Parts: sequence; C-alpha cells; structure tokens
Amino acid sequence: MKYAFYPGCSLDATAKDFQVSTLAVAGKIGLEMPELENWICCGSTSAHSSDPLLADALPAQNLRAAKGQPVAVACAACYSRLKMANHHIAGDAAVRAEVAQVVGGDYDGLTPVRHMLEILGEDLRQDIAAKIRRPLTGLKVACYYGCLLSRPPEVTKFDDAENPTLMDKLLETAGATPVDWPHKTECCGASFSITDSSIVVDLSDQILSMAQAAGVDCIATACPLCQLNLDMRQKDIETKYARRYDMPVFYFTQLLGLALGCSASEVSLDSLIVDPRELLQSKGLLGNEVKR
Amino acid sequence: MTPVILEIDTICGSLAGELAAATGISPMSCYQCAKCSSGCPVAGRGDLRTHELVRLVQMDQRQAVLSSRFIWECTSCQTCVTRCPQNVDVGAMNDALRAISLREGLVAAGTAVPVFNEAFLNSVRKRGRVHELGLMATYKLRTKRFFEDFDKAPTMFKKGKLPLFGGRVRGKSEREKMFKRAGEGGKP
Repeated sequence: MKYAFYPGCSLDATAKDFQVSTLAVAGKIGLEMPELENWICCGSTSAHSSDPLLADALPAQNLRAAKGQPVAVACAACYSRLKMANHHIAGDAAVRAEVAQVVGGDYDGLTPVRHMLEILGEDLRQDIAAKIRRPLTGLKVACYYGCLLSRPPEVTKFDDAENPTLMDKLLETAGATPVDWPHKTECCGASFSITDSSIVVDLSDQILSMAQAAGVDCIATACPLCQLNLDMRQKDIETKYARRYDMPVFYFTQLLGLALGCSASEVSLDSLIVDPRELLQSKGLLGNEVKR
Repeated sequence: MTPVILEIDTICGSLAGELAAATGISPMSCYQCAKCSSGCPVAGRGDLRTHELVRLVQMDQRQAVLSSRFIWECTSCQTCVTRCPQNVDVGAMNDALRAISLREGLVAAGTAVPVFNEAFLNSVRKRGRVHELGLMATYKLRTKRFFEDFDKAPTMFKKGKLPLFGGRVRGKSEREKMFKRAGEGGKP
C-alpha cells in the first residue's frame, strides 16, 4: 500500500524528531509514503473554535489534493481534523456543498485517512516483527495516546476510545514491556502551552505522576503536543510543585526505529529535552554512536 | 385524553435554539448526570463545570455562558462527548459559544485564546502553513506576554525545534479567497 504523507506544521519544527523518526521507520520497512505536495495546515483547534466551515475546508483542500490515495498522518491533531472533515462532508450533503464552494471543487469525504499507529500497528505489525534487530528488552513503557486519536470514536474509529492498545502491541512487538496504566487517554492541555501554560503544567504533572507510579522507565507518545508538553514541562513542574521526574518522553517511532536498527541520530534522539541516553545505555539499547 | 406533546423547540430558550441551529447539537437533551464533568480535565479549575454550563444554556443564561472562562479553558479533548449518554457534543457547543462570545464582545477578561487563534489563522492564510516561531512572536507582541516561557527559547533553538524560517505554500491569493468564501458561509 502506498500512502500520501501529510506531515502537518508541527513536524516541520517543534516535532521535527517525529518526522525524522517516522520516515526512518518507513525506510527500514520499505513503506512508501511520499509527502503530499503543497499541503497546507489542517487549521487545528484555532480553525474549529473560530469557523466550523473553514475547519472542514482546510482538511478538504488537502484530501482533494491526494486524489483518492490514502493519506498517512503522524500528528494526532492533524489526524483528528482530517477525520472530522471527512465525517462532516461524507455525512451531510449541505456541508459537502458548502465546502465545495469554499475550496472550489467537490470532495466526497471518502479519502482514507490513517494514523501511523494504525498503519504500523494494524497492517504491518507482522512485517515489523520480522525486521526487529535490537529488541527493546527490559524497557518498561507507558504508552500515552492522548485525546485526539481515539476521540470521538464515531469519527476516528481508532482502536478503543477508553483503553487503546495499538501502541502497546506495536512496542511489545519491538521487544518492550508496555504497562497497563490508567492515563493513556487523559488530556495534556495541548495548545494551552502557549495561551495558559498553568493548564498544561497541571495536567502534564498528573500524567507524569501516574506513569511514575506505574513504575515505567519512559513514556511513548504519538502526538507533537503531547510529547512537547510532557517533555518540556517537567522543569516547570519541578519549579511549581518540587516534583522531579527525569522521565524520558519519546515518540513511539523513535523507540520503534531503534528496535529496527536505526542509530540514535537517525531517530533524532538529541531533540529530546529530558536526556534518554543513560536509560537507553543501561538497557543496552545504544551503541557508542550517540553524539550530542 | 390526548397526551401533551412538548416539541423541543417550544421549550428551549433562544441560546439553545441558536446552538442547535448552528451545530446540530441538542443541549436540551442533557439530563444533568454530570458524567462530562467527571472526566473533564479543566472542570476543577474553571468558573463552571461542564454540566453546569449545559444547564445554563438550557436556562438561557446568555450573559453567564458567553462571559464564562470555562468556554475558553475547554481543551477540546472530546472526553465529554465520547462519554455523554445523550450525545450532547459539548466540544462543538463550546466552539459555537466561543464564536458568539467573540462576536458579542463578551470574552472573559484575561483570555488570550482569541488572539492566539487569530494569529494562527493569519499565518495559515498568508503562508499556507503555521510557522511556529513567527506565530509565537506575533502572539507575544499582541498579548505583551514577552517573558512567559522565555527560558524555553534557547533550548528549543538548540534542539532545532524552532527554525527561523518556516515553509510557505504557493497560492496565497487563492487562499485569501478561500478564507473569504468560508467567512461568507460557503454560499454559491
């Protein structure tokens, strides 16, 4: 299966490590997904909280450009907006007509949109199992899915809304030990990181504290905002609540890439704020190739 | 005896009716089980909790609803609608309430979200994509919150997470038209 890859704005900047590691994993398993040409922003929360029609039109413009080819998405927020637009457009002829007026052409809302977790964890898990070169043995991981992959379930149809296990199964295939923990789909506060960071500091603290209580070595994420908030806000949590976690927060593609034999730089480990080198070395998961 | 049938539009107030017309959601279906508030990540910090907001909508308390902080603190996490036994989409309702609150000049004091949203969508309109550093700079200039998270910038630069120049996509004039047509409601 060939996909058109829709990276989204964050993957060009704050989540460039997500982009680098996603493409590294795709390269290792021979997954073809050239970038969708001239893609534009999905509109994110700012569009849907300002103008519902624009919030459907921006994703529709991108999905039309894919010309029927399935679209692969890494960012959970982009995934949510593309799926939501499909849901509205395919389910309501009036919305479809309005969107057609806005983007200048009809779009039926039927272009498949799939998250990297679905592609790697559902379709390609067997292929991946055969290609594991460096199993993540002994690495206890809290798989954190955040809000937008699995909610609302009628729209995203992603795994299970309350207890998703796709990432757990995928990282288990990579040799890691995912744990059962209750904060898999709690909210990190997302873009409030800019407009009211106290929301993010408090919510991220609750998630990190639960992960720590579950006895994990690290957290794996599948969303640029989740990763950045849980990683970058640990320092603020320490300042505000005098709680120190030192908990590495990876993109799941970084861990998967390591297991598939990628080097530290091929999955952009240097981009993480909480340094994961000591942990990975202690588990024998890093060679001497790591440079800072 | 003929049963009395209460049609929803005869018992709901203007705000609930307005929201139903704009979004297709039915705030009047809520029976106050408060499951939404139990799962809401910000219910504990706002001036209202989720089910209280819906009740105020039912009671047509426009001023209290439209000037509440809660509608701006909602993180759009979709937990409420996922769990609601009556399918009241409070996330979509909050989106619509934010737009009305902004239009009627009732935005709660100290809320920076509308400024952020405007700067964000401007970036999309002009460049096709959001340049995160540029967005942050515009937002800080407009809100004068220069020193918030100032300590984060050097790390983010060092990690290569805030490139100075962002991507741009051709077709700016076509995008301007697209935004304009969306603002006009996609009428033919």
